[in-house]
Amino acid sequence: MKDSNRKIKVVVAMPGLDCHDRGIIYLSHVLKEAGMEVVYLGKFNTPEYIVNTAMEEDADVIALSYLNDHLYMIFFPRVIELLKEKGCSDICVMAGGRIIEEDRPKLLELGITGFFGQSTPTKDMVQHIEDRVKRERWKQ
Amino acid sequence: MSSKEKIKSTRRFDVCPVTETSAGIPLKEVYGPQDLENVDYKNEIANPGEYPFTRGIWNNMYRGKLWTRRVFTGLGSTADTNARYKYLLGKGASGLYCFGDTITHQGIDPDHPLAQGYAGVSGVSIVCLQDMYDLFDGISLEDVSVSFNNPCMAATVVYSAFVAYAEDMGYDLKKISGSILNEPIHLVYSMFETNAKPLDLAAKLATDVIEYSIKNTPRWHPIAPNAYDMHEKGANAIQEMAFTIAIMEEYIQRMIKRGYDIDEFASRVNVFGCACDIDFFEEICKFRAARRVWAKLMKEKYGAKKPESCRLYLSVHTSGNSLTVQQPVNNVARVTLESLACVLGGLQSFDPAGYDEGYYILTEHSALTSLNIHNILAYESRVASVADPLAGSYFIESLTNKMEDEMFKIINEINDMGGAIKATESGWIGSEMDKELIKEQKEIEEKKRIIVGMNEFIVSKEEEVPIEVGRDRPLEEQMATSKKREDKIKKLRETRDKRKTKDALENLREVASKGEGHNLVPLMMESLRAKATLGEILGVIREANGASYDPYKVLQYSL
Repeated sequence: MKDSNRKIKVVVAMPGLDCHDRGIIYLSHVLKEAGMEVVYLGKFNTPEYIVNTAMEEDADVIALSYLNDHLYMIFFPRVIELLKEKGCSDICVMAGGRIIEEDRPKLLELGITGFFGQSTPTKDMVQHIEDRVKRERWKQ
Repeated sequence: MSSKEKIKSTRRFDVCPVTETSAGIPLKEVYGPQDLENVDYKNEIANPGEYPFTRGIWNNMYRGKLWTRRVFTGLGSTADTNARYKYLLGKGASGLYCFGDTITHQGIDPDHPLAQGYAGVSGVSIVCLQDMYDLFDGISLEDVSVSFNNPCMAATVVYSAFVAYAEDMGYDLKKISGSILNEPIHLVYSMFETNAKPLDLAAKLATDVIEYSIKNTPRWHPIAPNAYDMHEKGANAIQEMAFTIAIMEEYIQRMIKRGYDIDEFASRVNVFGCACDIDFFEEICKFRAARRVWAKLMKEKYGAKKPESCRLYLSVHTSGNSLTVQQPVNNVARVTLESLACVLGGLQSFDPAGYDEGYYILTEHSALTSLNIHNILAYESRVASVADPLAGSYFIESLTNKMEDEMFKIINEINDMGGAIKATESGWIGSEMDKELIKEQKEIEEKKRIIVGMNEFIVSKEEEVPIEVGRDRPLEEQMATSKKREDKIKKLRETRDKRKTKDALENLREVASKGEGHNLVPLMMESLRAKATLGEILGVIREANGASYDPYKVLQYSL
């Protein structure tokens, strides 16, 4: 059972071989400033590694980012699938980077809680994380 | 919003809100003679074509030779890229640009388990000698210069493949021209660091290419350090140039250690691939200051005697970061402004980004627009007719001086740390860049930096001027492209004479284990001729130097 008052813990990671990590560097900074704990995995991760780390770290949130091409449609669903398999669906997964409009409904349906990137103000993302985590912790 | 509020909110745009450059240099309201009081024209500025080349590296600049007009290319298969080359050459392009895909940048083959979906997707995949035949089919290498954007270690193999191809086709190696990025140190903090480890080995291989090239392909530029990526990853205009120059000192010192005189190679390692961002005057002064810093360093620190050793060739890809996905048509204005800075800054070559860079690799239409930005600047606008037209401006000369001072400060700081490799391994350069990146993003969020259509002057999607943009290939198509490439390489592995390939690779391995003093380019060429692949060649070299065969530690050597 998670302590409902402990710091929110976010795993920040990019799956696959995309190298555009400007966004997650800045995001990590913003989340830390907002009082959260950041586990920074950076780029070049497999979905398995991201999920395992989130479990080991007992994280509240996985923040995924992808920009280079279309492979996020393989990596993001795989992260959600692994979380389900391992009974960890209470970990919120959100997506940033360049996620094209047409793909969003499908990802939302799978369980991605929100999309952030390019021009979203980071305070919106901080707010989103705080709301989601409060909700999850309340459920428990 | 009430109408009263509306008026109030637009009024704050009545004055220019900018009081410093992007890099944080304070700007006065006006500059005058007092700002240039201690400037010695002959020694500090000098005429174009004269040391220290502040005003450009040639006396008549673009009257003698226009900048090389390139457009970003590199997509899908080698055959697709070849078709785009022919299209661009037919429309007035004077140089070709070859951007590697993600996995070529990482030095792994298309049939690597982690490469699935990546081969030929955001660049062109170059893995074996056959790829050069496909890429340059019907194009004479003696008549066009080719610029490869591959970093080391992969660059060593790409260069070897290019030279082997040129040699086998009977081209005169003395006549082929172009450049290859090659430099690995910047990768550690900017891009595909797996391709650059171990760093010392990568720097050794990059130096091998320099050494081989100055002897065999004398018109080729065997290293063109990537200042661009560092800028896009956070480095401001001053840091961008200072870091790059400090990095180049590592290779200069390695070449001197190998027994070469500075004048034997300096004129071949003097091409930088930079960014040109939207801060118009700062960018122009960045180019002017960098040329002066380079010239002084070559002459005063390394004792260069030939003027060509002191000339710094600058080439640019206009900043992708400065472009927006919102209202992509506005990017034509941004790219034009940046391209104008390139011309006024006296560059040797640049490629204007596609207005749809935020979406995908240029479409044929956006590539044509980029090419025409070149053409409008070169032939229509008359901006290219006078060398360094801004020289003598109180503001321009004063900002150039300031930037030169700041660049030297950083270069000296890195030298005190023991050089760029040390300053990279300690994480210093990376953290300096992160600080700038965070500062810049914060300023955007706080609207201290205004980006039209993104954080101010926003319009709804419906109000946007409609314009065609590059679109991602659908996932299925992306997977199919990559699979086709994977199958091609698998077939190569099955049909080649395995014994021959293995012998060549083992020979390479043996020599690679001997370290300094053994240039590996000729053996890489032999391995490529024996149909070895990029991943295999780098794998055995890595193993011979005590590292894992596969940078991702998934594959084993199996031949």
